[in-house]
Amino acid sequence: MITSTAPLLDVRDLTVTINREGGLVTALDKVSFFINPGEVLGIVGESGAGKSITGAAIIDLLVPPLKRTGGTITLAGTRIDQLSPKAMRSVRGGRIGFVFQDPMTSLNPVITIGQQLCDTIQAHLKLSGSQAKKKALDWLDRVGLPNPDVQFKRYPHQLSGGMRQRVVIALALCADPMLVIADEPTTALDVSVQAHILELLRDLHRESNVSMMLITHDLGVIAKMADRVAVLYAGRVAEISPVGELFNAPKHPYTRGLIRATPMPSTTGEMRLDQIPGAMPGLGSVPPGCAFNPRCFKAEGDCRATIPPLHHEASSAFSCFHPLERVNA
Amino acid sequence: MTPVVNTPAIARRRSRGGKLLHAMRRAPGPTLCAVVIFALLIYAFVVPLFSLNPFEFSGMSVLDSFIPPAWMADGSADFPLGTDDQGRNLITAMAYGMRTSIIVGFLSVTIGLVLGGSLGLIAGFVGGKVDAFIMRVADVQLAYPALLLAMIIDGAARAVLGAERSVGTAMAIVVMSIGIAFWVQYARTIRSSVMIERDQDYVSAARITGRSNLSIIVLHILPNVMAPVLVIATINLGIAIITEATLSFLGIGIPVTSPSLGTLIRNGNNFLQSGEWWISVWPCLTLVLFVVSVNILGDHLRDVYNPRLRGRS
Amino acid sequence: MSASDFLILNHVSKVYRRSQSLLERLKKGEAGGTRAVSDVSLTVRHGETMGLVGESGCGKSTLARLVSGLMAPTSGEINFPPNAAGNKPRLQMIFQDPYSSLNGRWTIEDIIAEPIRVHKLRQGRAAIRARVDELLVQVGLSAADAEKYPQEFSGGQRQRICIARALAGEPEFLILDEPTSALDVSVQAQILNLLRDLQKNLHLTSLFITHNLSVVRIMADRIGVMYLGELVEEATSEELFRKPRHPYTRLLIDAAPDMDTSDRSLHPIAGELPNPAFPPSGCRFHTRCPFAQDICRNTVPPQKTTETGGMFRCHFDLDLSNASVFPPPAKVKTA
Repeated sequence: MITSTAPLLDVRDLTVTINREGGLVTALDKVSFFINPGEVLGIVGESGAGKSITGAAIIDLLVPPLKRTGGTITLAGTRIDQLSPKAMRSVRGGRIGFVFQDPMTSLNPVITIGQQLCDTIQAHLKLSGSQAKKKALDWLDRVGLPNPDVQFKRYPHQLSGGMRQRVVIALALCADPMLVIADEPTTALDVSVQAHILELLRDLHRESNVSMMLITHDLGVIAKMADRVAVLYAGRVAEISPVGELFNAPKHPYTRGLIRATPMPSTTGEMRLDQIPGAMPGLGSVPPGCAFNPRCFKAEGDCRATIPPLHHEASSAFSCFHPLERVNA
Repeated sequence: MTPVVNTPAIARRRSRGGKLLHAMRRAPGPTLCAVVIFALLIYAFVVPLFSLNPFEFSGMSVLDSFIPPAWMADGSADFPLGTDDQGRNLITAMAYGMRTSIIVGFLSVTIGLVLGGSLGLIAGFVGGKVDAFIMRVADVQLAYPALLLAMIIDGAARAVLGAERSVGTAMAIVVMSIGIAFWVQYARTIRSSVMIERDQDYVSAARITGRSNLSIIVLHILPNVMAPVLVIATINLGIAIITEATLSFLGIGIPVTSPSLGTLIRNGNNFLQSGEWWISVWPCLTLVLFVVSVNILGDHLRDVYNPRLRGRS
Repeated sequence: MSASDFLILNHVSKVYRRSQSLLERLKKGEAGGTRAVSDVSLTVRHGETMGLVGESGCGKSTLARLVSGLMAPTSGEINFPPNAAGNKPRLQMIFQDPYSSLNGRWTIEDIIAEPIRVHKLRQGRAAIRARVDELLVQVGLSAADAEKYPQEFSGGQRQRICIARALAGEPEFLILDEPTSALDVSVQAQILNLLRDLQKNLHLTSLFITHNLSVVRIMADRIGVMYLGELVEEATSEELFRKPRHPYTRLLIDAAPDMDTSDRSLHPIAGELPNPAFPPSGCRFHTRCPFAQDICRNTVPPQKTTETGGMFRCHFDLDLSNASVFPPPAKVKTA
């Protein structure tokens, strides 16, 4: 892989296991990817693929029985997977911001949003109380909340879902992090609000050139927001490609299956949705060899025998022994 | 139509026996308690089959009274735990006492469960004014200490039925008073569970299919709300036994011919000062052992049945 | 009302009353309330799949519950003309959440057999069990699944079980309330294909409710668009996408991101959803409409019929067939 600049976030062989009665089960299996400075990497997959676990693993917010058991995570040259809990706390929020999925539960209901912003700002930046307040008001304005001084004193339940998510974004960015991880930031919102939030994220990304890791199951969101995309399947990386290439010429059969199974406004009534037979294996039920092989129309003997490694080719990477040819998907 | 590739069953299926063994291995404390409870139950119900009721028959000799436990001076191997003021073998006396206590405890819990459970089901499912009424009655009752309530009910029954009552009637009255004193807990717990379940889609699906309200309550909702209530019942068993013991201690429970552990303790209390400690200490210890074991087991069952904790194995 | 009309909704409304404070009650004022469904009139024809689409608070789920009989409307009529035998048609419903729509204490066999038993459609255990097995295979599961419990199945499989249960009641009318919204994309594709096959083979009439326009396009013959409790447009699915008449429809189609990577522009709908308890005056959409004029603020728009038998509520006859026709909304700060 030829890169002109060193990646901002470099994840190699990240492995997460879950402690279940009877033994250890792998949730993430040697997941590797990187994010360049100023880039938006989309992480896409269905539920159970491990994409949320990936985000949580990077900032060490895994809830037991989940545990990070292998791999390295490097942020701007420093290894963050070996930091003490205290050092990690300053990374969280300070160098990596996190946007959670559900704005209802990710804000403290008994503290005003202004106070929550100030707390985060003061925890990471050496600012006085009044300076922090000014910065907080600034951020409320930047994320598009009208009358920031009024909103400052409000409680989360007094705001709508879209406004709450804007506050969550402000919280993620107020300490000027290098990287923002957004875990399904618009899934809990209506379509019209979703478009607003995506636009906000994009504007903020352009203004500050912060790198972004956008985790979602929605291919439409990926198509509009991501520069490069990593497709996860059953805890492994299936494919990493620039976004145009992913949609127009996917390499991994799962990627193409997923694209074809997604209904779009252009799909008219006569067209049948292409379905992938079967279902993604749950934790602990991953078949030997390639995780996708029981459902893959191209599966052959080697697919069942060996786990395909992540193979780099030009600008993309994929783990498949028999990738799709460069025909229009 | 392409058949679905069946994903492997999500929950591992064990045989019933396998599940129990596994559960026991993982929780040694509660398992030990279960064993203790079982042993005490055998003691309470089997020993009386082989010996006469020391409170009804005068087979004892007053000469045997106040014999201390066997390992002390003046002790005798015939009476391993000693005798009381009337010469009764404490082992036999306690077996009979334990039996009465357990029966009363069990029956009163059942009455409370049935009464509280039904009222809670109705209140939770019907809602509105009916719910408000039942809950207000419950609130009012909670203002009274349960013990006081039990005494009031017992006293009222006495007044109505007169001083002459058979043992059976007396037991029934005690059981009823304790049962009525404790129904509120069951009602409240079941009610909140019912209110959650009745909004679930499977209830709506049953309604659309055409089921009557009553059959929905009994067939759909009841199985889903029973578990936490049963756990409360287990814990309440200990409370019921102690309540009965307290009533007997105060002299208003079951008559002396069919005593409970409470009566024994009360009886022995008179002699504590003069040094014959064993007459009340043994029944006391047995009572404590039983109640603590039931509580620990009940606590464990509550954790096991808590769906929120289930994922974190 | 023609012979092929299956379901007629006539000016149906559902109002949730706010509980009044003591002061309000003393003043004996009009009890305010949220009009979850406001004056909806709709006809569903025999064998047709009617789609209902809209965002949260639009009233589509409430309407589903009204049609199913789980709730009674505050005003208006919901009419099922009796079928050939003179009875009301049998109705079944599929719900959104596959985890709460199955009773975890019942076996799959009991769950699916329930409508059969209640309506006495088969006699005897053997006949019932045979029918359950038949249904399980029909929805893509296997007969061996009948002994299992719901916890052993994934979300997609549970929805299949729900479909089997619904079919067990041999319904003539099926209400589907967001049946695939909680499912992954690939599972959704399987379930939607299954539903389409079943609807075709069993000649079912259905009401399909979803927030996803792309899904409703492939599933429904006609589509109704709801906003804040009102039905703002109704047309055949092809017509709705090719030539929408109501601005909200157009904006809703554009707002969902598609998979076109060459055009990365986003099209949010300006403004925010108003509080359903205090809807805007006049046309409810005027606060967010790029075409709003004074008349929209003051007068409730009339109901207009299109040449193809559709309906829309707007003061103007706009040509919205092209996405780029109208001016882009100004960067309005959200309310």
